Amino acid sequence: MERRLNAELWDKMHYLFRDFNDRMVHVELRYDYEIDLEVLKTVLICFFEKAPVLHSSFVDNHISTHWSVQDYRIEDVLTVAHPKPEELDSVVDEFLMQYIPPDAPLQMKVAVFYCEGKSVLCLVENHMCMDGGDLKYFMKALCQNYSDYAEKKISPIKLRQGSRSFEQVYSDFSQTEQRMARNLYKNVCAKDTHKFPLTPDSIRDRSFIVRRKIGVEMFDKIRSAGKKHGATINDMLVAAYFYSLYELAGYPESDSVTISCAIDLRRHIKDVSDEGLTNHTAFMQCSIPERGRDIFETLKYVVRSSNRYKKDKFMGLYGLPLLKMAYGILPHTASEEIIKIGYSNPLIAMSNIGILEADKLALCGHQPYDGYMTGAVKYKPYVLLSATSLNRVLTLAMCVRGNDKDRAIVERFFDLLEQNIQELTRGE
Amino acid sequence: MEKIIDYIEDSLAGIPDDGTLYRYKRKILNEMDERADEITHAGLKDEQVLADLLCDEYGDLKAGFRKFAEEERLKKRARSRRKAILIGTPLYVLLLTAIYLGVSFLIGHWAQTWLIMVGGIFLLILFLSGIGVKKLCGMRRLFHPIARILVAIDVMLVAVFVFLFCLMLFDPPHIWVVIIAGVIALLIADAIFAAVTHQKLAIINYLLYVPAGAALLYVILGGVHAVPWSPGWMIVLLGVLADILIVVGVMINNSRYIYKQEVEDVWNEG
Repeated sequence: MERRLNAELWDKMHYLFRDFNDRMVHVELRYDYEIDLEVLKTVLICFFEKAPVLHSSFVDNHISTHWSVQDYRIEDVLTVAHPKPEELDSVVDEFLMQYIPPDAPLQMKVAVFYCEGKSVLCLVENHMCMDGGDLKYFMKALCQNYSDYAEKKISPIKLRQGSRSFEQVYSDFSQTEQRMARNLYKNVCAKDTHKFPLTPDSIRDRSFIVRRKIGVEMFDKIRSAGKKHGATINDMLVAAYFYSLYELAGYPESDSVTISCAIDLRRHIKDVSDEGLTNHTAFMQCSIPERGRDIFETLKYVVRSSNRYKKDKFMGLYGLPLLKMAYGILPHTASEEIIKIGYSNPLIAMSNIGILEADKLALCGHQPYDGYMTGAVKYKPYVLLSATSLNRVLTLAMCVRGNDKDRAIVERFFDLLEQNIQELTRGE
Repeated sequence: MEKIIDYIEDSLAGIPDDGTLYRYKRKILNEMDERADEITHAGLKDEQVLADLLCDEYGDLKAGFRKFAEEERLKKRARSRRKAILIGTPLYVLLLTAIYLGVSFLIGHWAQTWLIMVGGIFLLILFLSGIGVKKLCGMRRLFHPIARILVAIDVMLVAVFVFLFCLMLFDPPHIWVVIIAGVIALLIADAIFAAVTHQKLAIINYLLYVPAGAALLYVILGGVHAVPWSPGWMIVLLGVLADILIVVGVMINNSRYIYKQEVEDVWNEG
């Protein structure tokens, strides 16, 4: 008999984003250690059984949607290869840039690449199943369970299970607050028309990742400079992002520009230990009224804008009741059409996935020496800058479907970003 | 497999068995066996991990048994009810016919006694439909419109019977008002149904039903000359007014739950 799982609101929303991005979330972790394949396979099977959405296909029959749980074999999940050292990066990128269709029987693919006594653990999953926040938790649980199983023979079954509903964000509110939050029918969407200056669409475009590492020294400087200006690392990065954009795209200095920043709605849930793997991400619109005379003024604007959101009790919860209503009362195809009328996808976005804790990502005591996570490959003209840090090394990544010119534009953007970060941290 | 059997036995130890427990144990074992096949097919080789994974999946067997026992009890009750209906319905119709014929032969008023037969059949339909409504209400919201149609049919059946009863026995003037009153009762019943089942956007129903009900009331009162046709039309106006009051009331109630962001828009600070 067919096992079905409910398609939650965010699953449907990410499905709707198919016109804007490929919905894949990517992880790459490099270890100075050879991963035990049998152990990894065992852990993965246990995790797939505990989170059946990972081996389900998304069914859209136009009236309603659901997940249909599928049979699988671990060999279909896990890819293993031994590339030559000079081929390693391209093989890793090729794996990470794959696309998993929502109706595929597996929603997550994992790969281990062995090279000169080291391993690269790569993972790609459909954003409809879980967001960066839960994928980070998934990776930590994977590593913890791997180590426990490999070293102590403890069965790898410690993975969170529970509701995947978006309504869990209301669960810790008082009754009055819940009613207030459920009445937030405001349509929050990015109205800014400023674009990242990529080339026009072409059928020759291919997906690629461009990444830039900001070293330990600079990372510490960002932190201390941020403290001095009353800004978080995120504010510092956003300010540099803004300033670089003005320079790269040539926006007039007097233009107001908006960058949509991903926010984790789990901040509203006190204890997530009984929540299922799911999406709880919304966007806050970080706007600046003009470029500012220098980058420090841009930073001031960014801090003001983000503080405005931080003081909001219901940060990120606006518009959820509207989406719930749209999906609740109409057949799926009709609700998608209605939502598309009111929704505009942010053209320029940023997702600060945060710190990847090396000690929690250790496999049998071997911490990853390098790694990062990044969001979906955006289709032009949309862009998303992902930021993660591992061992106090910041990795900025942008996944784009484009051509060599686009790659050069993104590289130029990262050069500017780096310059502007240096400017922000001058004197530290 | 032995580990799983031990787990089931240990988890459910101490529960008295009247046959239900065995059926539950057998069901769980079959399910776990099937899951074990699936997981093994996926590629899991370590039997200890497989057993731990399955035991974790079937964590609270005692709670599962309580649910199973309750479901069994309800199933048994539903089976007995179905049996009673299957046997009871023809018996009821036979008894009804016998009463109808008996009373008719006894008093000889054949022109009126057919009401016994009609009333009895209507009562049977109401009973069966009541069971249907209860069952449909326990199902997904998708099925609620069917329940609402059944409730509407029930209300109109009662109205038709009252109409026929009054017509045959008393033949009062303006007897047609009973049917219109039946439609008002139908609207009220549907509004109550929407409220009780917490139907989404039930307010739309109320806003439609209040002026519609007022218009029908106007026809009734005008028809029986209780109020003159003019200015009796004011009743319809009152219905619309009531609608406005409902909307205002809902808005005032909702305004208590509108969140006003404490932080001002920074760009409007001057």
